[in-house]
This record gives sequence, structure tokens and C-alpha cells, in this order.
Amino acid sequence: MNEHELHDAVSKLPKSIEPPRDLWPDIEARIGRRSWGGMRRWYWVPLAAAAVLALFLIGRRERNTWDITTLAGRPLVGDLRLAASGRLHVGDWVQTDDSSRALIAVGKIGELQVQPDTRLQLVVATPSEHRLALARGMIAAKVTAVPRLFFVDTPAGTAIDLGCEYTLETDSLGKGLLHVTGGEVEFQTGSRTSRVPLGALVQTRPGAGPGTPYVDDAPAPFVQALVGFDFEHRHARTVRNILALARPQDALSLWHLLQRVDSGLRGTVYDRLAALVPPPPGVTRRGALALESRSLEGYWTKIQRIHFRLMILRGLRDIDPRTGLAR
Amino acid sequence: MAFRDLYRQHAGRVYALCLRLTGDVRDAEERTQDVFVRLWDKLGSFRGDSAFSSWLHRLAVNVVFNEQRTTSRRERRVTPAADPAVLERTPRGTVEGLGIDLERAIAELPDGAREVFVLFDIEGYGHGEIAELTGIAEGTSKAQLFRARRLLREKLEQ
Repeated sequence: MNEHELHDAVSKLPKSIEPPRDLWPDIEARIGRRSWGGMRRWYWVPLAAAAVLALFLIGRRERNTWDITTLAGRPLVGDLRLAASGRLHVGDWVQTDDSSRALIAVGKIGELQVQPDTRLQLVVATPSEHRLALARGMIAAKVTAVPRLFFVDTPAGTAIDLGCEYTLETDSLGKGLLHVTGGEVEFQTGSRTSRVPLGALVQTRPGAGPGTPYVDDAPAPFVQALVGFDFEHRHARTVRNILALARPQDALSLWHLLQRVDSGLRGTVYDRLAALVPPPPGVTRRGALALESRSLEGYWTKIQRIHFRLMILRGLRDIDPRTGLAR
Repeated sequence: MAFRDLYRQHAGRVYALCLRLTGDVRDAEERTQDVFVRLWDKLGSFRGDSAFSSWLHRLAVNVVFNEQRTTSRRERRVTPAADPAVLERTPRGTVEGLGIDLERAIAELPDGAREVFVLFDIEGYGHGEIAELTGIAEGTSKAQLFRARRLLREKLEQ
């Protein structure tokens, strides 16, 4: 490996890595202890207020328009045809026809390609929140920032960036597809959330939200069975069909399924998942069936790590999908 | 914005920095907690003359190095100065959170080389800033960077 190759590899390292466990409870407890007693309980109030005010003022100062550039044809920004480039203001709609495309700079954190036949609106443009609404069409986003700064609302829910690269499309009925090609995206509708890591997709529907994510090389019958379960009927035989078709590479789908099937079927799903990818230490069957966060998160960390190695090393090394280790 | 939201927004970035600087998952978790506790104390002193994320980032670097200086002082009381392990200390635990070879190779670098490499090549600090943050000379920073890159190339070619 030469200097250039090393530099290239380093530049691709993720800027953000989620801690393996939630550190907030410990932090909260430590802050609580420090704040206990005397005036210290109160003096954070003006400090915090000052900080919030400072953030607000910075936000106002930096709340700006975004650059938009024509890539092909003449996209519409509001009522005006965009020539070469221009500015996009909060509230503006961007519309492309079947022969036009545009590139939008997402503040200072990334960029987004607007594909043909797309309609989207800039909703919020502050340093702490970058939000668009995709009414129909397709976008390709690439964001380099800490998680949860970039959001795209669709008729079926919201794509929440966790530091990533993805395409997102939605048709005129609001049916959509998210395909993640780098990092990880969360798709959320109400309390229902799907975690979609690189090399995985999720279908979405208005009213139903995100379906069960699946890897991009999942066999068609497996995907059809998932779509049937997610959006058509939740029969036990559909679940059993999914489990019969699942491979170790499909563990991320079964992890989501575990939380979505009726409690009577949960044990069956867990046993199949555990047979395909054994749970890591600390994850118990009882905890997983009770949907305890500790067990679910522990299992997800292992599945995610194996999945990441499978994707990154695909075509380069023979990786065991049960362990993530080279064979 | 609630303080918890600040944590949710920035935890991944801070944890990544702490993990790479310490090369140890448990230390990284502790330092990440330290950073947010320190942030709680210092939030009122944020003047807004730099991006909040940059300010927090520098705070995190300071927290990690302050802790290392304290630990180093503690260790020096029981470790002979001539002991080469003081200079070439390897990571204390397995790096469960790092999956790919490059991350693992970085974690296995000697402390000084890893810190300079992470700050210069991953985080984009200059040698002057690194010298100020870590208390080493600029020339030492350059030498450590050269050494880190050489060791990494060797490790990745194995």
C-alpha cells in the first residue's frame, strides 16, 4: 500500500461511530450529581439559556439559502426556470421534468441530486436541521455530517440521515423505496422505525410507513414475502415462509421482523435468527422476546458489524455471513 | 434544544474521536461521557465565534489529552522512566467497536503515533495545533505522523 492509497482509505473512514451502548443514562446521572446542592442547581439555567440563545442567533445568522445548479434541462425553482445556477429559499419548490436534473448543496454538509420528474420543497435550512419534503420523484443524497442533521419527509415517513449516501424515491401514490449505498439511514413513521445500513433497501407506503429492510442481493421470493407481510397480510404462514427463505445475510431483516410479528410468533423468529447468526454474549432469548433494548441493541450491533464487513469486502474476500470473519 | 438532543446529535462524532484517540472501547465510552459532562459545565462559555461542532470537537480533544496526562502522571509514579512500554504502550483492550482492518491497524499503533495520525490525517488538525493540544514539539508531531503512516502501511500489507 502506498501513501496515496493509505490517504484514500483514511478519507473514507466514517466521521461518526455510534457508541455500542447508550451513554446518556450515565451522563445524565453524572450531571445530576454535579448539579445537586447549593446554587449549582440553578446557575446552569442562565448559562443554558445563554447557550440556547447563542445557538439560536447563530442559527438565524447562518440560516441561509442553499445553492442549486442545473445538471440537465431547465428545472423549475418556484415559478422560475433555473438557467445555470441559483439559490433555493425555505418554502421554494424544485420541480424537474423528464429531461431535467439539478444539484442542490445541502447547506455545508452535503449534496443532493434531483432526478427527472421530481418535485421537492426546502422546508428547513438551519445549521442544526436540514429538511426537505419529497412529494414525488427521486433524489440521490450524499451527506457528511453527524447523525440527525439531514431529513427528507415523504408521504410515507421521514428518512433520517445517520451520515450516509442514499437514493430515495416516491411515486405519485406515495409508495417509496430507500436504497442506502453508504453509512446508515433511519426511516421513521410515528413510532415505527427501520434501520437501513449500506447495501440495504426498504420499501415504504403511506399509512403503513417503512417495511422490513432487506439486503440488495436478497432473493426475489424473500423480498416478495417481506412485502406481503409488511403491506398485505400478516399471516403466520407468511412469516414462516420468510423464515424458511432467510439466509444468514438476511439477519437484519429478521431482526426487524422479530419486533413486528405477533408475540406468539416471536420465539419462532428469534430461534431462526439465532440459528442463522448466533446472538452475541449478553443477549438472551428471554430479553429479546421481551423486546428489551439491551438485547435488541446488542444483537443489532453484531448483525450490523457482520453486514458491514460483508458489504465492504464483497468480491474481495470470502466472508462467513454467520460471523463476519474471513473464511 | 434540550441537552439530551445535543448529546444525540453529537455522540457519534465525539465517540468516534475518543475511540480513535484512545484505541480502546471502554476508555472511549468513559471519555465520551466526560466530554458531555464537561460540555454541560462549559456550555455557557460557548461564544459562537466558531461552529458549535468545531468547538465541541476541540473540547473533546482536550478532555482526552487531559485524562491521558493525568493517567500518565499516575503511571509514572510506578513505572521506571526507562521502561520502553511507557513510549510504546499498546492498546489496553480489544477494539470491539472497530470492524475493518484500517481501524484496527490505527488502534494498534503506539499511543503517540496514533494520536498524531488521528488528529492530522483523520481530523485535519495542523502540526502547530497538535503541538499545542498534546504538548509535544511540532517536529515531534511530524516525526510521529511519518512513523504512523509507515507502520500502517506495513500492517495493512501483512
